[in-house]
Amino acid sequence: MRARPVAASLAVLGYIIMIVPILFVVVTAFSAGRTLRFPPQGFSLTWFEAAVTYDPFMESLVSSLYLAAGATVLALLLGVPATIAIHRGKIPGKGLIEGLFLSPLIVPELVVGLALYQQLMIGLGLDNLSTLLLGHTALLLPYAVRVTGASLALADPAVEEAARGLGAGPVRAFLTVTLPLLRPGLFSAALLGFVTSFNNVPLSLLLQDREFRTLPVTMLDYVQQSYNPRIAAMATLILAATVVVAVIAERTVGFARIFGGINQ
Amino acid sequence: MSRKTALLLLPGFAFLAAGFLVPAVAMLIAPPGEEPTAVLSRFGEMITDPYELRIIGRTVTLGLIVTALCVGLGFPIAYLLARSQGRWGGILLALAIFPLLLSNVVRTFGWLVLLGANGAIGKLLTATGLTDDPPQMLYTPLAVVLGLTQLFLPLAIISCYSAVAQVDPGLDDAARGLGAGRTRAFWSVVVPLSGPGIVVAATLVFAGSVTAYTTPYLLGGSSQRMLATQLFSYASVSVDWAAASATALIMTILVFGVSGLSALAGRRGATA
Repeated sequence: MRARPVAASLAVLGYIIMIVPILFVVVTAFSAGRTLRFPPQGFSLTWFEAAVTYDPFMESLVSSLYLAAGATVLALLLGVPATIAIHRGKIPGKGLIEGLFLSPLIVPELVVGLALYQQLMIGLGLDNLSTLLLGHTALLLPYAVRVTGASLALADPAVEEAARGLGAGPVRAFLTVTLPLLRPGLFSAALLGFVTSFNNVPLSLLLQDREFRTLPVTMLDYVQQSYNPRIAAMATLILAATVVVAVIAERTVGFARIFGGINQ
Repeated sequence: MSRKTALLLLPGFAFLAAGFLVPAVAMLIAPPGEEPTAVLSRFGEMITDPYELRIIGRTVTLGLIVTALCVGLGFPIAYLLARSQGRWGGILLALAIFPLLLSNVVRTFGWLVLLGANGAIGKLLTATGLTDDPPQMLYTPLAVVLGLTQLFLPLAIISCYSAVAQVDPGLDDAARGLGAGRTRAFWSVVVPLSGPGIVVAATLVFAGSVTAYTTPYLLGGSSQRMLATQLFSYASVSVDWAAASATALIMTILVFGVSGLSALAGRRGATA
């Protein structure tokens, strides 16, 4: 790279803003002190123990994992058939139908959360777990449709027709020919969907209940009540888990491909 | 449409309708226990009320500042990443994308440690003797701008990256061969050719900034109310459905408005 002093200094500033706050969370998590302060007083793993033995964090962690898994599976089960219909079926207004499936991406998530809270939980008395599952599934449908759609567009329909011509039934042709071609798309959509649901705040914010709470919202509430390194330790554990997910993603389909599908 | 195609579409569409489309429309016309016109008339009152206008103004202003910062920092990063090869380029690209997978709560939380009363920046200012009494940084517009910039910079980088990576490096070399300086080649060749990517980046960042909740909640507090934190307070503290729905309408109009403008800019760019 040839020297470009202005661009390089702006880039350094950008990376500082992106990365440094995250490093400070990690440093604070290893503090031995009782409050969140800098520099941290001493070194200890006390707050990690305090985080993993704190029931509200662990209960909401389990809830968030279940919710993310459920919404991801549902979104794929509903989204993949729809994607196949959109790309392979002879339907009028293809663009409109695809746009409809992508529409949850453009409405602010907090607005969707308010709509579901007000109309389904307050208006119809639906419980919060069903509302969360319904809302998260609708939120992830665009990922399922767009990311697997990108894989499907690359797969040549002639290959599937050839399989049918050689005597395979439609189900067998799909399972043995089309599905393997879709695998990278399905994997990317599942990974992005899971992470999006697990990290979500705005949609889940109003849909909380004593019985079923999600982890990010529980952490926001915690900061409001107590200001100690337990929250930094929990955040560091999430960071570590995210690094593992990122490495798996990079090794399998590659970062660029995962985000290439959604950013178009 | 064949029956088979309809059967493939129907379950997904039913979920989409129940979990998104119907509640979103119903929220505007029928909040619980309100008249059908309550949301619209509340919307009319809000956009003339000085208190509400201050919140809208703050949300839009901070959104514009964050957009300018994210494009201003994100484009040079995307440009350098697209032009660099080898191991370091790959690591820096991964570092720019990784935050997109990380929880916003975790990312925003770091600023509390940096900007708080016992935070690192305050300590640094006192230790270097610049001031004995570090200024309040948390719960200021600066804190919100820093937090939102951190949040949306990766999005700006990947949007610009996909555009700038398609600009043939031979073109800037050609411009320089024809006598343009490095700066002029950058501004008159690279930037215009990456125009559509910059427009996408700006749109995504602005729409994200004016609707974000976590950052204004943690870093802005009640002294820097923005539309998102105001909406939450109407819905869960004062339980004023008409006001909550009207605030949601304002947020949605802002997002749709900027997306429409950007689509228009894209179309004009394509025909120009």
